[in-house]
Formats: sequence, C-alpha cells, structure tokens
Amino acid sequence: MLDLTVKIGGKAGFGIMTTGLTLGKIATRSGYHAFEYAEYPSLIRGGHNVVEVRISEDKVYSQEKKTDILVCLDAETFNLHKNEMKDGGIVLLEKDKIDLSKQKSTIKNVSYLDIPFSKMLKEASLSSVMINNIAVGVLMHFFGADFEILKTLIFENFSKKGQEVIEKNIQAAKLGLNFAQKYYPEGYKIKIPKLTKIIPKMYITGNEMIGLGAIAAGCKFYAAYPMTPTSTLLHYLAAHAEAAGMVVKHAEDEISVINMAIGSSWAGIRSMVGTSGGGFALMVEAISLSGITETPVVIMMGQRPGPATGMPTWTEQGDLLFILHAGHGEFLKILLSPGDVEEAYKLTIDAFNLADKYQTPVFIIGDKYLQEGHQSVEKFQISNFKFQIDRGKLLTKEKLEEITDYRRYQITDDGISPRAIPGYKNSLHQANSYEHLEDGHTTEEAKERMRQVDKRNRKYATFLGKDARMPVLYGEKNTPLTVVSWGSMKGPILQAMKGSEDKFNYLHFSYLWPLPKDELTKLLTSFKKLLLVENNSTAQFGQLLRMVTGIEITDKLLKYSGRPIYPGEVVEKVGELI
Amino acid sequence: MTDTQFDGYFPTWCPGCGNFGIWAALKTAFTNVGFTPDNFAVVFGIGCSGNMNDFLWVNSFHALHGRAIPTAIGIKIANHKMPVVVIAGDGDCYGEGGNHLMAAARGNHDITVIVHDNRVYGLTTGQVAPTAIQGFKAKSTPSGVIEMPINPIALAITSAATFVASGFSGDIPHLTSVIEEGVKHKGFSLINIFQPCVTFNQLTTYNWYRERIYKLDKNNHDPEDLKKALEKSFELEERIPIGIIYKTIRPTYTDCLPQLSKEILVESKLNTDLDKFIDEFI
Repeated sequence: MLDLTVKIGGKAGFGIMTTGLTLGKIATRSGYHAFEYAEYPSLIRGGHNVVEVRISEDKVYSQEKKTDILVCLDAETFNLHKNEMKDGGIVLLEKDKIDLSKQKSTIKNVSYLDIPFSKMLKEASLSSVMINNIAVGVLMHFFGADFEILKTLIFENFSKKGQEVIEKNIQAAKLGLNFAQKYYPEGYKIKIPKLTKIIPKMYITGNEMIGLGAIAAGCKFYAAYPMTPTSTLLHYLAAHAEAAGMVVKHAEDEISVINMAIGSSWAGIRSMVGTSGGGFALMVEAISLSGITETPVVIMMGQRPGPATGMPTWTEQGDLLFILHAGHGEFLKILLSPGDVEEAYKLTIDAFNLADKYQTPVFIIGDKYLQEGHQSVEKFQISNFKFQIDRGKLLTKEKLEEITDYRRYQITDDGISPRAIPGYKNSLHQANSYEHLEDGHTTEEAKERMRQVDKRNRKYATFLGKDARMPVLYGEKNTPLTVVSWGSMKGPILQAMKGSEDKFNYLHFSYLWPLPKDELTKLLTSFKKLLLVENNSTAQFGQLLRMVTGIEITDKLLKYSGRPIYPGEVVEKVGELI
Repeated sequence: MTDTQFDGYFPTWCPGCGNFGIWAALKTAFTNVGFTPDNFAVVFGIGCSGNMNDFLWVNSFHALHGRAIPTAIGIKIANHKMPVVVIAGDGDCYGEGGNHLMAAARGNHDITVIVHDNRVYGLTTGQVAPTAIQGFKAKSTPSGVIEMPINPIALAITSAATFVASGFSGDIPHLTSVIEEGVKHKGFSLINIFQPCVTFNQLTTYNWYRERIYKLDKNNHDPEDLKKALEKSFELEERIPIGIIYKTIRPTYTDCLPQLSKEILVESKLNTDLDKFIDEFI
C-alpha cells in the first residue's frame, strides 16, 4: 500500500504553498488520498516555508514525521530537514549550492539527486519564481503521473493571469520533466501506480469547508477582521459572496464585526463571524449580548498559540476554556469542534441550526492545523449529505399574522421564546441588553429577573434532552487503552491507530458543550484505561470532563510547541502505558 | 397618525433634562416622515439617551455601550429597505465607539445617527464626556479635564459622512425639521444634538446655548460646500451654528452590493445548487 510523504521547502515567495496544493491535487485527481501540513513564519517575504503532502491509497488522516522525498529549493531547507528523512529517502537538491562533503543526512541510505535548478532557469531565461515548477516536473516523472493533470492544474491556477504566465509555468515544469526523463529514464525508486478506479475527491482546507458549510446552511452575512488562522475563511467567502447571495464584511475591528452580525441576525438572517483568540477577546462583551438578547450568532474561533500575539502561524488547542467562559453573566453557549474537513462541513450546518433553535451563540472551534491544511474527502460525502434547515421558533410572516400581543421573551417550558423579525406586521418588539420583561421592556424587579434567568437556563436541559451528541468511539471495542481527545487531534490519533488497532481505540468529541453528565460518566467508567491527548499545556478538555463527571484522566499526552501532535507520539505514549 | 403612536413608558429622566426635547422632536419627525412603530428600527446605545428604549414604542434593539452603530449597520445589511436610526450619547458614540463612527461614515451606511451631546456622563453620575470643554471639572477630573473636546461635526465631515447636522434640544421645531432631513437623507447621517444636563453640567446650560447658537439657512450657509462646512464645524464656543452643516450625495454601502440589487437578504432564497461550489475543490 502506497504511503508517501513529499516535503518541499524554500524561501517565502517561491510558491511553496501553491506547490503543496498542486502535488495534493495531482494525487487526488490520480485517485489517491492526500493530506497537507505547512509550516511558515509570520512574515510575507523571507523566512523559511515548508509544506509536506502525504499521499496514500487509503484515507490519510495526518502528516507524518519522516519524509520519503525532500525537495530543497534552497540550502536552508536541506539544513533544517535533512534528518527528517526515511531510511532510503530521496533528496532533490542543487549540488552547486549545497556542499555534501561537509553535511549529509544522519539517516541511512539517503539518495541525493542533483537538479540544477538555477542553470535550467538561466538557460531558459525564466524567472526564479518558476523554480517550484521545475521540481514538480521532476516529480511527475518519478511518480509516473500523467503530465496532462499538471498542465490542467497550471491552467486553472493561472487562468486569471493570462496565457503568457500559463505557458511559462508549463515550460518550467517541462524542463523538470525532460531533465528527469533524460537522466533517470527508468524513474527513481518511487512510483505511484496508476489506479483503474478514480472516486472524485475534494482537496480542501478546513476554512474552505466551513465556508462551504455556511453557504449550504444559508448564511447570508459573514463579518470578520483578518486574523490567522481564520483569514482564509474570509477570503473564501468574500470571493464567493456574490454567487452565494451573501454579504461579506471586513469591518473596522472585531467588536464591530460581532455587533454587526448580531444586528443582522436580529433582522432575520443567518450570520457568522470568524476570528482567532486575540480578536475573539474583543468580541467577548457581545457574546454576552447575544446571550441576553437571545439573538443567534455563529462564531468561528480559530485557535493559535497565545497568550496575546503568541505564535500567529502555528497551532494549538489552547482557547477551549476561554471560549467556554467567555461572556459575563450566565447563559447557554454551544461549543462544537470539527475533527476533519468532513466534520467541518457538517458541524457548520449544525451550528447554524443550533443557533436558530436555541437563540444563543454557537461556536465552531478550529485551529491552524485543521483550518489551513488541505485534506482529501470523497465528493459524495459532501454532495450526498442530506440536511434540514431548522430555524427553530422563528415566526414566519404568515404565523405573525395570527399573533396578537407578541412577547419576544415569553416564558416557555423549554426556555425558548418565539422569535419575530422586525419590520413585519405584529412583530413589534424590543430586544434588550438590559434584563427585561417578557415584552422586552427593561426591569430590575426581582421576580421578573429570576423568571428570565430561569427561562434562559432551561435551554441547557432542552439542549441536553434534544440535541446533545455523545462522543464517537473509533476502533475496536475491548482495547487495553482508550484515547480521549477532541477537534483536530482526531487525525493524528486515527493515523496512529493504523497497525495498533489491538492496543487502543479512540473516543472523539466534536460536541464539546454542554455535556451530558450521567451518560458521559457511565461511558468513561466503562473503559479499561484512559489517555487524554490534547494540543495544549493544561489539559483543558480534561478539566472540562472532570468538571462535568468528576473523573480525572491522569495519563496525558500534551503538546504545546505550536506544532500538532504526530501519530508516532501517540503510538509511543500508548506503548508506555500498556 | 399622531406622534403619540410612539409613546412608551413615561420617561425617568430628571425634570428639565434636555432628553425630553429630543424625545418630542423624534416622535414628531418620525410621524411626519411616515414612520410607524413597526416599519423601521431604532438601535439604542447605553446611557440616559439609550434609556429612551423604554419610552419610545418602536421596533428596537437596546445594544451595548458604544456599539449601536455596528448593530445598526448589520440590521441595514439584512434589510436594506427598512429605515434604521441610532440613538446614542456622546460617550457612547465619540468615546467608547469612536472607531465605528468613522467607519460608518466612510462606508456611507444608510443609517441616521442621533447623538445626545450634553458634554457629561449622566447615567454614571457625572464624569467628563469626550465633548466636555477643556478644564471642565467633574467626578473623574476634579482638577479639570486636560483633553481637548472632540469635534464631532468636523470628525464626521472628514470621515466622509454625507449628511452632518447640529440641533438644540431647547428648540424642538427646528430640531424636528433637522431630524426629518436626516432620516430622509439616503446615506450616513450624523445629527449632533446639544443638550443641557441639568443635574451634572452647570456650565453648558440652556442659557449658555441660547446666548451662542444661531440657525443656518440658505442666506448664511451652503451645506454642499465642503470647505465652508468645515469652517462652520470649527465654530465651537463663541457662536455655535445649528442646522444642516454638510450634505452631499454618494452611493450608499448597500447600493454598491450587486447581490442586494434585486432582493433584500432577509427575504432571499436558500442556495440549493451546491455542486458549483463543491466542484471547485475537485
């Protein structure tokens, strides 16, 4: 079974990220699965960028530590990554630029193939930014992949930049292809076998999938202020706003962003905002506003390492408890966290339905790892997914016709009051950030205050009874160990399970709050041994589980270097415990 | 229809508060332009001005301190055929939420922002407002405020607002006509209303204003002349102009969105053809 990792590194501006996307799409269009992981500093020019693409016939859930092919577009790439090779791996480099007599990989049996990038570019009078295409051309020959796929991809990528740019890119790719054909006519060590059956696959980032989910769910307003790792959601939706009949607003700050979304939601449309920790900190007062005015809003909260500016382009699951406790006062928040791109689509649709049903803020919690990396998913998983649009107790124009004495904050058994859109007959009401009477007028009277608090709090029980979801167990039933985790760590854990199916199974949480106490306590106590895996330093989800169930998971694998957990680290930790 | 259609609870403002004049002018202006309680929306900020939420019977959203403007912009984007008015205070609009005022003016969002400018914080019992005259002594500045006051009119004009006016709560008929012009204007309008605070501001009283204000009209001002408007905006203490200071026409924010040219978002249909979005990622 093919399981191949290709790593390409170079200076920012060399089109490293585009190369990663190209390689991934070559794989998926050839019928394979692919997974991308990129590392880059918070800089636009200069600095070292590296992208790795893992290609497999099987579903691939995460990156891996060691690489089969390392493509060095500069000397720094070689210095930084030469020891991350697999035994027998291949390094493509320019021998004129790297003195191999002084520095070699510590890994055994590594081959060093000289690709004279600079000479080829110079001879063909091509710009140095074409270097990545030469590398892809070489790989096309080694893979035995269809060059037409690459030509089509170049055409798609550069169609807006004109024929000349397209031709130069293809010319550079052909230089690489011809060079490899001439010097390595039989290829070199690695082949990607042709597949007879090709299932159409999407190759998509978490952010793009969340954007697609928002379009599917009928989101009509998205507001954001740019912030890694959620900026590319803004870019995706802004580019598709007109086609989707949506308004996308890059507002002056995150405070404006969320207050706009609450305004547009009050006026009747599904609304969403996107940010990261620092921007979310500015939104917190308005989370509370959504809570008391009972105005639905969906918040895409992309985590990255903090505190403050932290490490902007890296990954972490460090904001869970901040999100849980964000917003002064007591009110229901619903927290969801997708584990992969497929879940990202489905949970985004859930988020909009839940926001409308419970008239409260709903969070989609992601991180740089999920949001910015491309993953493959079969198209049918998305296009065949059936869902309902549930707007909860939103009153239609027709229903409003029958209503007299409309009360926005009517006391109800389930805690949810009928919601009217302003501007229509009989909908007249006040939404109030102050504590209020059933009709929305301000009150400070003790009894009315308690009636409204009790009403809002009843939403917890309604949610737990109707919409809470238990975690999903992946793997065999009776393993000596059960790994517990949430969100994007699903990928590395499922990847680690391959070949270790008898050692552990995985309990994956994507509905994070509110949690059903009794069912969860029963479930957690049914396993032999638990290992908590989180991409943070204080086991935040473990703390939450303990708060709800009283159960403390003492064995933990925590990582907070800004890097995601690798499957190998899970396997190693599991090995220590059983 | 009479302006009693907008009556809510009887106000809890201090006797003699300038807010009464603004309240009266708003109700008359809304009636005169054809508004009814359910065919437009008002967003209130937090402060004595925002407390009007309970005294004015209209579709309303009592927002956060400083954040009434973005809330109103969101409402306008969702339903751009529905008129949206903001009622806020000087601390609300020029202090806590100053950034939003500039952004809303730049975007020419079609909302009318009514600012109660009494140069002091009333609801929090008497601290300086961003419009307090330098040296004004209040609870948070017992030795006198060091900062220079905000110039809301000049700020709005230079932020590209398309309608900028001043009014005085002690002249209800004139204020009514200014508000009517403001809500009829297509684009972002700011109406700064001078309003005495009888409890916490003994400096800028009814008499202080009456000695200084004068009305702008065709004979003494051309509101379409940007430079003249800016000159007027710097008449701050000796003589104070009220009326329309600046007015121009520019497409509104929602005018510039092709996706809103045929329908309002709140009545738009769901996207059911998802394949065109999905196929892009194959």
